[in-house]
Formats: sequence, structure tokens, C-alpha cells
Amino acid sequence: MKPTSIREMLYEPPGPAARKRISILTWLAMAALVVLTALVIRQFAVTGQLDARYWSFFARATTWRFLGEGLLTTLEAAVTGAGIAFALGFLMMRGKLRKNRPLRFISAALIEFTRGVPTLLFIYFFFLVVPQTGWKLSAFWKITLPCAISACGVVAEALRSGVNAVPRGQTEAALSLGLTDTRLFYKVVFPQAIRFVIPSLIAELVIVLKDTTFAYIVTCADLMQNAKVLISNYDAMLSVYLVVAVLYILINYLLNRLSDRLAAGSGRTGAGRSAV
Amino acid sequence: MTQTDSPIIELRHVDKHYGPLHVLRDISLRVHQGEVVVIVGPSGSGKSTLCRTINRLETIDSGEILIDGVALPEEGKKLAAVRSQVGMVFQSFNLFAHMSILDNMTLAPVDVLKRDKKEARAEAMRLLERVGVADQAHKVPAQLSGGQQQRAAIARALAMRPKAMLFDEPTSALDPEMIEEVLQVISELATDGMTMLIVTHEMGFARNVADRIIFMDEGRIVEESDPEAFFLHPQSERARSFLSAVQRH
Repeated sequence: MKPTSIREMLYEPPGPAARKRISILTWLAMAALVVLTALVIRQFAVTGQLDARYWSFFARATTWRFLGEGLLTTLEAAVTGAGIAFALGFLMMRGKLRKNRPLRFISAALIEFTRGVPTLLFIYFFFLVVPQTGWKLSAFWKITLPCAISACGVVAEALRSGVNAVPRGQTEAALSLGLTDTRLFYKVVFPQAIRFVIPSLIAELVIVLKDTTFAYIVTCADLMQNAKVLISNYDAMLSVYLVVAVLYILINYLLNRLSDRLAAGSGRTGAGRSAV
Repeated sequence: MTQTDSPIIELRHVDKHYGPLHVLRDISLRVHQGEVVVIVGPSGSGKSTLCRTINRLETIDSGEILIDGVALPEEGKKLAAVRSQVGMVFQSFNLFAHMSILDNMTLAPVDVLKRDKKEARAEAMRLLERVGVADQAHKVPAQLSGGQQQRAAIARALAMRPKAMLFDEPTSALDPEMIEEVLQVISELATDGMTMLIVTHEMGFARNVADRIIFMDEGRIVEESDPEAFFLHPQSERARSFLSAVQRH
């Protein structure tokens, strides 16, 4: 089956008049964008933001090595945080789907708590409260753990929605073949559930990655923190922020492409789409 | 262990309610070794529910269900073990969507019966050959036609070497041209002496394949007789009106 875009599903295909209108509006929007960009650049030029001293240090390898190290830390924190969030989220999802009432209640409460509290509060908790208990954490963990905890509830709910989306018949077939609850969950239900929710999981990874920019609070040398060092060294706020923003956009764009590719791949294997 | 005269499937005074709805009323029924029992009846008569209680996909309120003389356990590994001895074929096939047909076939034999993987694959291929979909073994279910999927699902149940097979409206989700190929496979099983309980709307098939017909209405067994007697001389008014409605054309 040909993949259908959201647009094709929601709107009928445009006729000749609509096509004409769309093309005029497209050109107008493009023109407006060009004019706006020109205005912004002109304003930069007028205020001296395009002066060589704000940009010349980007020609040095040390600048890029410094940013690269920060980027690496950012990626490490995001991947580690996402890994922990996945593990915790998985446990909470399993808990919430159990028949055991207390376990279900505790899992539901944890999910609501971690979803409801802003990441920044978790960071302050690990930054200000945890050290008072005598638990010494490195700056890396002071940013990674709160990001993970903040994400795990969302991951749990995403996984749960995936599990619920697997047709009941799949479970019944596995039961009738004599598989026990645990075996059928790992062999039949979860492999299909995970395919359904890959896009939500990657979206959450992007959020974890963006949350790691709070690392400057705990002075963990991530991309954002190193950017701040550059800014104070060269007194160049705008240029550094622009470059760093482009780097973040690039990573998240790549993640989203990966998500699309994985989602398309799992669609091809027809998870949950068998004809009924 | 098995007594020669003890039925493979036995229900004793089974009752079930869905809220205020009394879906199974005092159902007693026996299916003996090698027997083919076909259940017919109007929609909502409880025939599918009855079929599903036999491997406890539906629970019952009271009564007893015995598989090969053993009371159906209520949960856990014991229940799983009994289920593994009774094959089930569903209306909507329910092949595992993320696995190849071959992996569908070997999952339970290897995982539940602890058979050798190589042997299980060899037997799976033999069974797929028998139902005529061996050439589809490495595809995923969505790539097969409905008829092929259902034949593969039957082969998957057979791979467990079940004592009996349950068919819950196996052709109701199929296009007309695919119904015949599936019924053919089931008829061959009957000829080979498989013990079967079949719920179906295909009256011609029921008449040909059944050793005994059970007619249900409103959760009750209204009539139980051999196929010729049932189709030619139904005893109850309800069966007469049902047959005249489904056989009009």
C-alpha cells in the first residue's frame, strides 16, 4: 500500500483554482521570508554583529574542538538519560499493566509525578538537595539523572499506549498456543508495541536532548555550557548562539529523520496491519 | 492414562452471564476421539462464546469443562499446558504480525514444548506443504491473502500436535473465493481423524463434515443430532425457521 501523508488523509486534493491560490501564497510567503531575512541581516550589520571579531574565532580549530567536546557530553547525557528513562519507563509500564492493585497504583502515581513535575525542579533537587544528604554526584549525573526521571513517565505512557494498540487477537492466539503471560508479552506483544511507538520515543529523546541544555546550572560542560564560555571569552553572544542553535537543530533533524525511517520500516513488516 | 470411552472435550452444565445477559445456559456436551462436532445457530446464540470457553479465553460462571478427562485449570502454567494441547483457529486468523509464517509456526513448539528448533522448522515446513502455503513460509502475514493466512493459522495450531482443534467461525472474515480453500483443509483434517469442534455459518460444509450437529439459540443447545436428520427433519420450530432463513437462496 502506498504510504499516505497526513495531508492526503485530511484534505481532498486541490483543484485548479486552489492550486493557483496555493502557488500565489507560496510565492508571497517566500518573498516575505527573503525580505525579513534581509532586514535581520541589515540590522546585524548596523549594530556591528557581523564584524570580524565576532566571527573570526570560528576559523580556529580549538573553538570547534571545544564545542565538539561539549557536543559529545550533550550526546552522552542525552543517550544515557534516554536509556535510563527507557528502563524506568518500561518498569512503570509493566507495573501499571499488572493485575496487582497496589503495584498498579504505585506505578500510576510515579508516572503522574514524573510527568507532572518540570525538569528544572528535578535538576534543582539533584543540584541542591541531594548533595546535602552526602551523596556525591558528578556534574554529568546531576544533569543526566533529572532529565531521565523527567522523561520516564512519558516513556511509560508511550509504551503502554503501544501495548494497548496491539490487537487482542494476538494475545489470544499466543494464549491458545500455551504461552504464559510473561513469554507472550516478550515474544508477541512487546515487539509489536515498540514498533507502534518508535516516533513518540524518538520525540521524547529529542526532549531529553533539549533538557540537557539545563546542564549550565550544574556546570556540566555540555554544548550549551561550553557555548557560554565562548561567549564570555570573546564577548560574542549572537554568533555563538546562532552556531549552537544550528548544531542542535541538525542533531534533532537527524533524529527525526531516523524516526521516520524506522516508522516506515516497521510499517513495511505490517505490524498490526494484517487484514481482518 | 486416557480411558477409551472418555471424551476429549466435555462440558457439564456450563453457565455464563455477561452482566444481565445469560449467554450460556446449562450447556452439556461431549466430543469424543476422532469426532467432528459442528455448532450452528443465529448470531448471538452463544456458539462462539462456547467455543472460547473450552480453552478459557472466556471464563465460565458455573459448571465443569474437562479436556481429556482433566478439569480445565483456572490459571497459570497448568492452564497454559492444557491450552497447548487444544488447537484454536480464529475468525481473524491472528497470525503474529511481526513474524514470518515459519516463525509463527515454530514459536510455540520451541518455546512451550521445548522441541528442537531444527526439527520444529522441518515439521513446520511439512505442515505448510500440507495446507499449500509452503512457498509463503518466509513472508510476514500481511503479505498473504486471507485464505493463505487462515491455512497457515491452521498449520500453526497443528504444529502443536493437538488432541483436538477448535474452529471459531474460521471462514467468516474471508472473501467468498477463499472460503473453499480453507474448508478443504478442514475437511481433510476430518478425514484424517482429527477431533474437532467447529463453529460455522457454512451450512453445506457443516452437513458434509459433521458427525454431529449442535444447534444453539439464546445460549441453549436446542437440538443435537446427526447432520442428515438435522438438515432434513429439524425437530424444533426454531431450527426450522433458522434453516429456512439461511438456505433460502
